[in-house]
Amino acid sequence: MKTKSRVHKTFIYALLILFSLLFLAPLFWMVTTSLKGPDELYQFPPKWIPSVFHFENFKNAWISQPFTQFLMNSVTVTVLATLGQVVSSSLVAYGFARFTFKGRDFLFVVLLATMMIPWEVTMIPLYMEFNFLGWINTLKPLIVPAWFGGPFFIFLLRQFIMGIPKELDEAARIDGANAFQIFYKIYLPLMKPPLILVTVFSFLSCWNDYLGPLVFLNDQSKYTLTLGLAQFKGMFGVDMEGIMAITFLICLPPLVLFFVAQRYIMEDVSKSGVKG
Amino acid sequence: MRKISMKAFILLLISMFSLAACSNSSSSENTAASNNGKSEGKGTTTLRFATWDSGEALKIQQEIAKKFEAQNPGVKVQVEAYGDGFDQKLAASFGAKNPPDVMYMWNFPAYVESLEPLDQYIKGDSELDLNDFYQGLFNYSSLNGKIYGMPAGFTTRVVYYNKDLFDKAKIPYPKDGWTWDDFKQITKKLSNPSKKQYGFGVVPEPDTYDLQGLVWSNGGSFISDDGRKVKGYMNSQETIEAISVLSEMLKEKSAVLVGGKNQQSGDDIFKAGKIAMWESGVWPLEGFKEAKINFGTVEVPSFGSKPAKGVIASSAVSIAKDSKNKDLAYKFVKFYSSPEAIKMRTADLPVRISVVKEMKMEQDPLLSPFYKMLERSDNTPAFLLNKNWNEINRNLSAAINAVMLGQDAEKLLNTAAEDSNKYLK
Amino acid sequence: MKAIHASSKPYMEFNQKKKIKWDKLVPFLFISPWVFGFLAFTLGPLLFSLVISFFDWPVVGEAKFVGIANYKTMFTDDPLFWKSLWVTVKFAAFFVPLNIITALVLALLLNQNVKGHSFFRTFFYLPSVISGVALAMIWAWVFNGEYGILNYFLSLAGIQGPDWLNDMSWALVAMVIASLWGQGQMMLIFLAGLKGISKEMYEAASIDGANKVTQFFKITMPLLTPTILFNLITTIISAFQQLTLALLLTGGGPLNSTYFYAMYVYENAFKYFKMGYSSANAWFMFLIVLGLSLLVFKSSSAWVYYEGEVKKKK
Repeated sequence: MKTKSRVHKTFIYALLILFSLLFLAPLFWMVTTSLKGPDELYQFPPKWIPSVFHFENFKNAWISQPFTQFLMNSVTVTVLATLGQVVSSSLVAYGFARFTFKGRDFLFVVLLATMMIPWEVTMIPLYMEFNFLGWINTLKPLIVPAWFGGPFFIFLLRQFIMGIPKELDEAARIDGANAFQIFYKIYLPLMKPPLILVTVFSFLSCWNDYLGPLVFLNDQSKYTLTLGLAQFKGMFGVDMEGIMAITFLICLPPLVLFFVAQRYIMEDVSKSGVKG
Repeated sequence: MRKISMKAFILLLISMFSLAACSNSSSSENTAASNNGKSEGKGTTTLRFATWDSGEALKIQQEIAKKFEAQNPGVKVQVEAYGDGFDQKLAASFGAKNPPDVMYMWNFPAYVESLEPLDQYIKGDSELDLNDFYQGLFNYSSLNGKIYGMPAGFTTRVVYYNKDLFDKAKIPYPKDGWTWDDFKQITKKLSNPSKKQYGFGVVPEPDTYDLQGLVWSNGGSFISDDGRKVKGYMNSQETIEAISVLSEMLKEKSAVLVGGKNQQSGDDIFKAGKIAMWESGVWPLEGFKEAKINFGTVEVPSFGSKPAKGVIASSAVSIAKDSKNKDLAYKFVKFYSSPEAIKMRTADLPVRISVVKEMKMEQDPLLSPFYKMLERSDNTPAFLLNKNWNEINRNLSAAINAVMLGQDAEKLLNTAAEDSNKYLK
Repeated sequence: MKAIHASSKPYMEFNQKKKIKWDKLVPFLFISPWVFGFLAFTLGPLLFSLVISFFDWPVVGEAKFVGIANYKTMFTDDPLFWKSLWVTVKFAAFFVPLNIITALVLALLLNQNVKGHSFFRTFFYLPSVISGVALAMIWAWVFNGEYGILNYFLSLAGIQGPDWLNDMSWALVAMVIASLWGQGQMMLIFLAGLKGISKEMYEAASIDGANKVTQFFKITMPLLTPTILFNLITTIISAFQQLTLALLLTGGGPLNSTYFYAMYVYENAFKYFKMGYSSANAWFMFLIVLGLSLLVFKSSSAWVYYEGEVKKKK
């Protein structure tokens, strides 16, 4: 029995390491490329480790455009939009998951449908609307809509809420708690893992959003990091080390966030839930 | 207590909705603030200038803009770098009637309805000497007899060659006036597939625009001069022969397929010393120097005794019809094509004869082929000849793509010409 | 907000009348953010695009009413429409099941009790953090036929790999591989779903003598169905909206073999400036995806198991 479990364990580790290599290899290349000098960028067979580490590539790329400003803008947009996304999406998801009311299913289908709208054709009318509101060239088009809930996140949270046994809130209702109290005191603690998940995803999607900033921002002082990154790539030329260096730096915040947040995502809430 | 929590809940919702309204009212101040620039006083006007440039070239645009600001107090030039998303962003802003005042332009047929013709401004401007510009360039920024863009920079296409690889194989460097037969022989000698080294690199989905020089050189073309016929042009013997030069080299393994614009491009593979020759504009020249490649440039080869022809990639600056500051915009356009600004543009080639003379560029062995090719670029590119060229080009590109992947050129170009007929009115 | 904590007071009677009103209103209060957001930012642009799909609108210039001409052209006189639709359907047919299976397998693997799982999780999630141009460059470097790293490794094993991105039969496969690489988000959703299944269930089952395989099919799978439903619908949507990779990496080629429907819509809008036509294209895709999702959604009552719902029936 014991040898069998040891074989099993070894097998699991082997798989984990194999997949890790698959996922890490291209990233490794990204990092080494960002450290290469121009003479070593394009060798074949590829050079995995550069002979000289050009750390100045990072500095050069960062100061080539006002990236510190871009970083501030990205942080502003991402933090405010994610906050709004989490608050509003959890409310809406609870509304859809725990109440029966007239037109609920129809509205939910509409919500699902909004996920499927190709942005190619709504982009220009949306631009017109924001232009009418005077929001073009401000960060508002990137932040305000997030406060009205995102269909992807609402759907995700709804699925989690529907998996929670209903007995809990019936007990609370008998205690005289109203709907909002039940939501706040019983469901929010139970929803911690999916809420953190939504935070991580929403952060990533705002942080990496390219199209929104491209279309709605004009002035460089308002640009986000992704737009700054795009400035290494014009219609007729690409600066490879610059792109790799900046992409690597851009990747770090969402990765760190994930690394810190993951233990809350994986937390076993079923026990704390019983207590509540 | 329950009331309180309910209130809190409703309050939260209300505050969320009012966020939109609140930010709306404050937005007017905000945009005003952004229009005013950073710390300048009240009477500042902002001029929006859109470019597709990136990296070093973008920095040059920003410097030119700064210089213009210095000479024109009270003006702020907002350089908007759309990069790769240029068309998308421009379409959105034109569609919403909120375009930049001045913008880079090459695709005149697509945008012409929203661009301001410059003839009136030029006529009323005694300082501007149009004769100082290479005249061929206006060909690329005029439509229906009107000038819509002021040339700002351009490049022709030449052949880059890796001197080290030539030396190693003891092959003399190519010279202006060489032919495609010479070219093919050299590629054969310089190819060694087992070492992944090839004589030349071919893009599998070439921009048909770039291929025009090759086709014209053989006396062919994609479309008739009046823009009304493609049959007998796109599929003429001359055109087929020209295109087949590339596909034959691929078949003989004396050329290799290199990636498109985001894949490992010919530029990169040339840098790696894996292709001996590469045809391109001036864009990669600085990069090759930086990568310390020992290289030279030469005119494109000719077909026997027929004259070699070239095509120009031109960047012009245009003014939007909907601009509210057209006079200022023209002032900027004029500054942009002034010798002072042209000299700052080192990412492509100067459009003014006086600047080229002053900087002795025609004597630079790496740059002189570009100017020689300019003299050879007197044909009008297809996209300016028919307003449906975009649609026609869809068929043509697909056909050429198939040819590069080894299919029969004649059959495909015949079909492409047939399918394109419906777009010719 | 602190005040709410002290609120577990007995039921208050005097609000009886009001309560009925409240009860009707409360659900709408909860979903109101989305409803208002939909009315403010989605409905208008959506209707605009529907209206403009009956126009010929070159973006720069005026729109001209053309009736159903755009839809007619699309169905009867545009081979690219059918081509791109077929490419997308093929892509979806491979990508949707593979993506769900891969994500589920990786999630199950990470759910094992192993040391260093937080690092493995981060590694597996890592690719989904990279986006845009850098991603395209990475894949170009992997897939290049002559100089690519994938064929380099294959050649070490004595295999002559294809020129992935220039080979009609391999380019779409390359797209599927590249898309699978970024499955991190879905894997996490599965993982969170797995963590939500209480340990007591497994303990009870192993006391009853059920082995791991039985446990997987009797406990894990049923309780994971809400998550599977979510992932299925969102993967279908993303398969039909697949654009970035093709746009940046292959440009739809070779010979349109990776010309996705979303790319067709995109190019009609921003390369050929036929915004009306593009809107008609987009509405057609919208209806297809909506139809598919509704089908899946309707079928869900047969196979999705919500613990909350079932408990209620008891």
